[in-house]
Amino acid sequence: MGKLDGKAALVTGAGRGIGRAVALELAAQGAAVVVNDLGTSLGGEGSDQSIAQQVVDEIKAAGGRAVANTSSITDYDAAGEMVQQAVDNFGQIDIVVNVAGILRDRMIFNMSEEEYDIVAAVHLNGTFNTVRHASALMREQRSGRIINFSSVSAWGSPGQPNYGAAKYGVLGFTAVLANSLNKYGVTSNAILPGATTRMTDSTPRGLEFMKEHGKLPSEMAEGTDGDPANVAPMVAYLATDDAQHINGHFFGVRGTTIALYSHWEMAGVLTAEGRWKPEELIELFPDTLGKTIKAPEPVTLPGSPRPLKGAAAMQADPATWKTLAPGIELWERSTYFDAKR
Amino acid sequence: MGVLDGKVALVTGAGRGIGRGVALLMAEEGASVVVNDLGASLDGHGVDTGPAASVAAEIKAAGGNAVANTDSVTDWQAAEGMIQQAVDAFGKIDVVVNVAGILRDRMVFNMSEDEWKDVLNVHLKGTFNVCRWASVRFREQRSGCIINFSSNSAFGAPGQPNYAAAKAGIIGLTLNCANGLSRYNVTANAILPSGHTRMIDSIPRAREAVAHTGKLPSELAKGTDKDPENVAPLIVFLASDAARSVSGHIFGSFGFSYVLMSQPKIIKTLRSDHRWSVDELSELIPKAFGPELETIKNDSGFYNKIQEIPGGQWVDLGNGREFWGSKLEPYGENVW
Repeated sequence: MGKLDGKAALVTGAGRGIGRAVALELAAQGAAVVVNDLGTSLGGEGSDQSIAQQVVDEIKAAGGRAVANTSSITDYDAAGEMVQQAVDNFGQIDIVVNVAGILRDRMIFNMSEEEYDIVAAVHLNGTFNTVRHASALMREQRSGRIINFSSVSAWGSPGQPNYGAAKYGVLGFTAVLANSLNKYGVTSNAILPGATTRMTDSTPRGLEFMKEHGKLPSEMAEGTDGDPANVAPMVAYLATDDAQHINGHFFGVRGTTIALYSHWEMAGVLTAEGRWKPEELIELFPDTLGKTIKAPEPVTLPGSPRPLKGAAAMQADPATWKTLAPGIELWERSTYFDAKR
Repeated sequence: MGVLDGKVALVTGAGRGIGRGVALLMAEEGASVVVNDLGASLDGHGVDTGPAASVAAEIKAAGGNAVANTDSVTDWQAAEGMIQQAVDAFGKIDVVVNVAGILRDRMVFNMSEDEWKDVLNVHLKGTFNVCRWASVRFREQRSGCIINFSSNSAFGAPGQPNYAAAKAGIIGLTLNCANGLSRYNVTANAILPSGHTRMIDSIPRAREAVAHTGKLPSELAKGTDKDPENVAPLIVFLASDAARSVSGHIFGSFGFSYVLMSQPKIIKTLRSDHRWSVDELSELIPKAFGPELETIKNDSGFYNKIQEIPGGQWVDLGNGREFWGSKLEPYGENVW
């Protein structure tokens, strides 16, 4: 008995990396899967139909149900056909997981129009295209699961103006879905994954690794923290009936850690009885809103290869973790919960 | 003497509404302004060279410096031309303010491909285009200021999947600029504006108002807390030398209030010494994240939230001005 018996899923970008791991996990939990992958290069060039088929074969060999789809999610009508393929083969569409993505990294002042356009087309238009068609059916059947892939690059990765913008856009889009489709029994959540895949192979750190070890990081990821398979269980969980109450949330998933993000809230307010004058803001800002505006400096710890920022810096202290169950620990951002008190 | 004396600014969408208010106040504070507006209808159709020209004329009549530009921000080369126009007319470019925007509201399950693409194109690509070409100059001159207009709709407005995705994307782009260009002394911030403009005139609530008053909300806004010109002082502040250390933030302008937003950050982390099974997650996720899964909402009603702050929590700053500060950290999960 699987947690997803009788359900039908579409997973985009399911031929390799995280998408493949998600497709395999959904199938292992009993879902029938449309395995979509265009089989392009990391930069979005070319196509290879065998990539999706290999994952379908793997699922079938393990006794599961799957069909391959090798269309591009950037094509509005083709995305509709992917959803229809699930209906034609498996009778319905219950789960859509948007993983497909490409990279074209460049500093903004050197970026070409095409580098922007193609990344926005795949990540943003592609995610819209599948959801647009699936949501119409999910609305009719009064149930559904949408799981979109964002990225921590959304928080401002310097060399990724295209990818970072698209991935923050996915968060906004997911929030809209959460607010507009929940009345039809549909939940929508976003994952900010971390894994060692061909995407991270292409980063400077990945290339450094290659020089040192003679192998790409992704080739040595299996069984490590960076194994893309580690991302899959959380996705499968969000797709289950058990997770019906989880809607509109952003989860960071890497290795065996699962992080929950806060959302946008007011940190401070300056108010007046009439329109402000710029001079008034110049005078009052530093001691009011300006007081908390600087982020803390990164922390360098003995043994850590690079300085730690944000939650990672706080989590380095073992005392901030408490045991929830044997082998399982929970960390809370004390500054956030203090502020909420 | 103005706080922007000697600066050169490009303001897109400056022919009407909030953009116009920004262009006028920047000019009043001493900036020379390229007033860009295609003069399109709210849904992006048509062109009219009138709005940009009339704002430029208004600025000049008041003794300021301005030139009009009526190209579309969606055009990559035209965006380069806007920056070039600032350089040609005023010698440099110091500030870009991206306000231009259109609306095509529809529930996601009914939205057409064109409704999606057109909105993404104007807001996100248009903002990218202008930032891209400005950043080349900013990098060379080792200074610059980017102010991009997002919206609280980005946080989940149900009938605006296209607009929300674009406006959220603009925040991502802004944070990228803030981090990628900080070494060149460039700041980048995002704005959640408000104000009764023709954008607001188009929503269902506005049609009710017309039935009551016989006037569109935008026609009744002047001088009230709904006046779109209320956003401009915040923009002038962020463009001034007084805000050179303010970068990578999201600010809201609601009524006569300015808000500094707290950005998403990791608040809880669950970890295991082995790979998770789905069964384990079914048991442990509600246990670990339970309260937050209920209480965190994509709720963007900041105007009302400001009204709901208890009177005792405000600090009196004199002359009718007040400050409310939470202990929430404004910056996000700054992994870069």
